[in-house]
Amino acid sequence: MAEISNYKVAASPHKLDSSTTRKVMLDVLIALVPCLVCGVVYFGLYSLALVVICMATCFLSEQIYNLIRKKPFTFDLSALVTGLILGLNLPPRAPWYIPIVGGVFAIIIVKMLFGGLGKNFANPAATARVFLLLAYSSVMTKYIGFDIAGNMLSTDIVTAPTYLSGGAAAFTGTFMGTGGYWGRVLQLLFGAVGGSIGETCKIAILVGGVYLAVRRVLDWRIPVVYLLTAAAMLLLCYGSAKEMLLQLLSGGLLFGAVFMATDYATSPKWKYNRVLYAFGLGVITVLIRRFGSYPEGTSLAILIMNLLVPLMDKFILPVRFGQMTKAGRPVPHVMAWTMRSLCIVLAAALVVFIPITNYTNVYITKNGVYSYVQDADRKLNGQYEFTVQGGAPIMGGYVQNLEYKVYVDAGTKTVTDIVPIAQSTMGYTAELSLFEGKTYAEILAQTDLSSDSDFSATKTNTKLREMILECFSFYDYNIGRYERLSYTDESVSLAERSGSLYRITVSGIADLTEYNYKQALKYAVTIDSETGRVYAITTLAESTFGYTLDKPVFLGKTKQEIAEMTRDEIASDISTGATVTNVSVQGLILRCFEVMETLREGANG
Amino acid sequence: MTLFDKGVHPRDCKSLSAGAQIARMPDPEKVWLPLSQHLGKPAEPIVAEGDRVLRGQLVAKKAEGLSANVYSPIAGTVKGIVGHITASGKKQDHILIENDFSDESVLLPVLKDPTAEEILARIEEAGIVGMGGAGFPAAVKYDVKGRADVVVINGAECEPYITCDYRIMLEYAEELLRGIGYVRKACGAKRAVIGIEKNKLDAIAKLKALCPEDITVCALRTRYPQGAEKQLIYGCTGRVVPEGKLPVDAGVVVANVHTVLSVCRAVEQGQPCYERVMTVSGKCVEKPSNLWVKNGTPLRDVAKYCGAKEDCARIVSGGPMMGEAVFSLKVCTSKTTSSLLFLDETECETKVASACIGCGRCVQACPMGLSPTFIEEALFRKDYAEAKRYGASSCISCGCCSYVCPAKRFLAQSVRLAKKIIAERKI
Repeated sequence: MAEISNYKVAASPHKLDSSTTRKVMLDVLIALVPCLVCGVVYFGLYSLALVVICMATCFLSEQIYNLIRKKPFTFDLSALVTGLILGLNLPPRAPWYIPIVGGVFAIIIVKMLFGGLGKNFANPAATARVFLLLAYSSVMTKYIGFDIAGNMLSTDIVTAPTYLSGGAAAFTGTFMGTGGYWGRVLQLLFGAVGGSIGETCKIAILVGGVYLAVRRVLDWRIPVVYLLTAAAMLLLCYGSAKEMLLQLLSGGLLFGAVFMATDYATSPKWKYNRVLYAFGLGVITVLIRRFGSYPEGTSLAILIMNLLVPLMDKFILPVRFGQMTKAGRPVPHVMAWTMRSLCIVLAAALVVFIPITNYTNVYITKNGVYSYVQDADRKLNGQYEFTVQGGAPIMGGYVQNLEYKVYVDAGTKTVTDIVPIAQSTMGYTAELSLFEGKTYAEILAQTDLSSDSDFSATKTNTKLREMILECFSFYDYNIGRYERLSYTDESVSLAERSGSLYRITVSGIADLTEYNYKQALKYAVTIDSETGRVYAITTLAESTFGYTLDKPVFLGKTKQEIAEMTRDEIASDISTGATVTNVSVQGLILRCFEVMETLREGANG
Repeated sequence: MTLFDKGVHPRDCKSLSAGAQIARMPDPEKVWLPLSQHLGKPAEPIVAEGDRVLRGQLVAKKAEGLSANVYSPIAGTVKGIVGHITASGKKQDHILIENDFSDESVLLPVLKDPTAEEILARIEEAGIVGMGGAGFPAAVKYDVKGRADVVVINGAECEPYITCDYRIMLEYAEELLRGIGYVRKACGAKRAVIGIEKNKLDAIAKLKALCPEDITVCALRTRYPQGAEKQLIYGCTGRVVPEGKLPVDAGVVVANVHTVLSVCRAVEQGQPCYERVMTVSGKCVEKPSNLWVKNGTPLRDVAKYCGAKEDCARIVSGGPMMGEAVFSLKVCTSKTTSSLLFLDETECETKVASACIGCGRCVQACPMGLSPTFIEEALFRKDYAEAKRYGASSCISCGCCSYVCPAKRFLAQSVRLAKKIIAERKI
């Protein structure tokens, strides 16, 4: 036997697991490939270029920083992971410099300045996304639509809303032959909607997530508890299981839960801390979505929870094996049982409340200025529920407070039900049968509102009719799907069409000479070209003093009727100032009719 | 209840030597018999240079307090009390005996139906220590004065490569079970449980078939460190040994399989503890084997006998997770040397530590519920109180944290250092 001489000495353990930082990062890169592929297929090669620029920027930033600081080059692939995640977070048609700015910010400011790999306190990609959102908000929220007709690689940029920013308008009618609600779910699942490059296709994200979970690279607790909490919170905040599913599949929630919340350096180390962290993420994300001014809250939530991680790691420690209290009793596993119970409660809440909330309300974003409509909800059986409040002046300065729930069937444009919530004293109750079961057209044409009970009740009826008309205007402006027409002039800023309806956004000035004041006005006026009547009016801007337009004066009238109206007929019963507004709007509406006729001729010719 | 959810699962590599029947290695020409093969004080030599000793003759008597007798493993001539290196690198007194190959022996009297006191006295006299690795004098450990009701026999053998306990369970099952009977009697315990990992199904089956009523076999999940004392007790009995306390405080005495075998032989054959079964394994060994090796045999002789290859990258005495790397083959075996591993590059890569990426795998893996990465951080800051708050003092040195670390940080080593500093400075 030759002498054995080449052996080395080291402290135990001598056997090590085969995983390395590089392998871990490589696994993450592999898991992100499906998202990248889907993004490129859906949004074109330009988005691939964005991602590549982003990855290159991140890699080079790190190496240049190392060069300046005279540190060894790093080849652990972590910069590429950051670059890829940030790249997939960008809108598909962002300008080329956006990934460069974002990449440099993520690597230099968020990561390297705090000590490099593993030392950053916040997720570089999430922080960079929030930074870009604040610094380049107009660019970062410009998403393009997904075109399933086959021209997916077309370079036309059509800005499309996402589900979170624009609601139902984000969807096409049917997807893969499935319409309605489940068609929308499918669209979100396959990513056939507007959104960031990598976060639209949920199936690709799930594939990547399962791969990482199987490879034990990510702790499954974080995405699972995050989504569980978000689901429960969505149920709580929106009261609808169907809306919950749409929201879960929308925006960056799933991508964030799988790839960004699980970032090693910025998530807690102990498994029950991770459950707590994921719970916090779910709560904050939904709170931002529902009550914040940003439509999406994932990145922000991750950022906020990242700041709490060091605290959790420091003060919530695992119970040691055989750990005893000072009194000599075993230390109870408080954290473990609390977190387990929390998960069980969340899961149980979902199981119990999903069937119950299946057909309740869906909150709708309110655009425009409304006198009466407080809130609008979409019930998923196709009906809309409007909450309206207002005051009916009866006599002698007495104003009756009114509040109703008005239910509208969107398909037939019929008022199906009216539920009085408040009709204050004196018994001047509205004659609900005047409106219930009537179509919008019938209510528009209805002029005789006299109630057999009382003259004052007639005033209540009149106010209720106004409220109902506003509900339909609300529906028209916030829910109706219009296509944009290419027409603008000095007073008309937008013209849209939906079937026979033309919606013209018009602005003008009411000259209140007697008050020495000029009032700026802006309305969206919808005209039905078939009947030639004003269909809906939505106020977009009416500057101060409350000289609001008395809409029922014009609603349902033809061009000729409006043109022939005298000042007395137009006069508002509220004040002379409002009358001036009304007179000005008379001109604007006539202008709208002209525009509509021009557009209509253009369409026919 | 029979498993703990932490730890790691390294590839066990036991198939290399699991099939090798226990053979007897030829006696060496010389033995350097360490005076300290156990925890506590070194034994005091009672022979001088030139004395002739027989196999099984007492050559060093236990000192006052915690200590154990040392017997000559061979017949021959004492060449002196010499300073010689041990596995830990310190120079210690060894008795150098030159073999005359006469193999004359002098054994202790055989005990027939011994009482608990007689068994304890014999265990003490025979110099038996815990042969799993710790080397705690067994007589002291078993003298619990009725405070234990269960004896847990450690047959988990969770360290990769090592198969000596497994072979003992297969080949000396009857002796082992009788030994368990003696230990149980010595401790005054009502029952005994043998804990065996499920990767040794044939050993489980064999012992189950032979077990008397008061001994049960507990099949444990294959998970390192299942054989660590506290984890084993939890796995076999569901009892948790409080931090800083001994197993006996939970009413348990733990005995290693090999220790029990030695007890049986000391009682029934009067054979003192001077040899043990050792696993020699690893990719750099031509004949991975399980061998009866005399205490004091130089590792060089073992390496030569098993055909160790010269491209060996690391030699480990004990298991790859907790064993010590051998720095010289002049080192000799002792009562606690359970294995000798000759590992190649692929089995023990030397890695450079990189930055902690905060994956938390060490926290998840630690069977004691510590936070190794934060302990290391605190250690580097010299904030020992903080290290203690994260539990450094409870470390059992199992090495799981270093094992799982993808950044290849020396976590176990750091925690061990922190534990040592905390103990030294009484923080």
